[in-house]
Amino acid sequence: MDALLPALVGALKLSAKLILIIVPLVTLFEVLRYLPVFRRAGNVVEPMMRGVGLTRDAAIPLFTGIFLGIAYGAGIIIRVAQQKGLPARELFLMGLFLATCHSVIEDILIFVVIGGNGPAILGVRLGLAVFLTGLMARVWKPA
Amino acid sequence: MSNRELRGAIEEPVPDIPARIRTGLSAGFRTSLKIIKVSVPLYVAVTLLKGTPLLDLLGKVFAPVMGIFGLPGEAAFAFVAAFLLNLYAAIAVIVPLHLTPFQVTQCGLMMGVAHNLVVEGGVLSTTGARGGVLTLCRLVIACTAGLLLRGLWSLWETASSWAMALPGLS
Repeated sequence: MDALLPALVGALKLSAKLILIIVPLVTLFEVLRYLPVFRRAGNVVEPMMRGVGLTRDAAIPLFTGIFLGIAYGAGIIIRVAQQKGLPARELFLMGLFLATCHSVIEDILIFVVIGGNGPAILGVRLGLAVFLTGLMARVWKPA
Repeated sequence: MSNRELRGAIEEPVPDIPARIRTGLSAGFRTSLKIIKVSVPLYVAVTLLKGTPLLDLLGKVFAPVMGIFGLPGEAAFAFVAAFLLNLYAAIAVIVPLHLTPFQVTQCGLMMGVAHNLVVEGGVLSTTGARGGVLTLCRLVIACTAGLLLRGLWSLWETASSWAMALPGLS
């Protein structure tokens, strides 16, 4: 029983830390997500997206996934993918990119809180995502 | 793409600021509650198991695989938690293990790529992409990323130790 109390205290401390990150982050996102800046971001990133074989139709699902994560952004990802009728090639490339690099803000923050190096995690994930997707876009030529 | 087109694509009305704050707070607390339900029992379990022969033995079994990525054998439990559940469950396992900053970074990177595989694999399938293939890809990518980070990290350490050795820089 002597071991149980410190374990519980540690668990509660960790939970408190996580809540202190998640609640403000989700709230801030909800407040900011409707800003026109985010809606216009598609124009800025279009040239970059072309480099990895994606068109602007994929911009909203892609960036939702990058910032929100696949499970949380699922609603938008599924809806837009079906509405726009994204071709199989683009769906695959988007999926590959998101598999490597998604939910970057929340996922990286929680590891920074427990002592990880944020820029290192982000750098490797983003670099690898761009490299792999760019590579596959050249392997799988558009029909 | 114009604003109107984009809004049409998302198809949702824009709520006012207080409504957004309410949505954010309630979503945040709902998520937090879900996390606590999983992470508290896991954290307590790992803390109590630490130092017992069971965890040591299982740690030794996984040591060769985890060692490839510069991680201790016990980190395998964090990977199981990450693959099947989510990163919060993984973190609840990682913290009591007292890993080094590199090891925490390594876990964050590899698990960031491959986690919650069951649920997210399902989501990816519904978009029309092949969920199973992508899940396999994530595991392979996670390992690639892990090897990459290990290499980069040791390069960085070597480089900074050389820099320190230069006269007049330290």
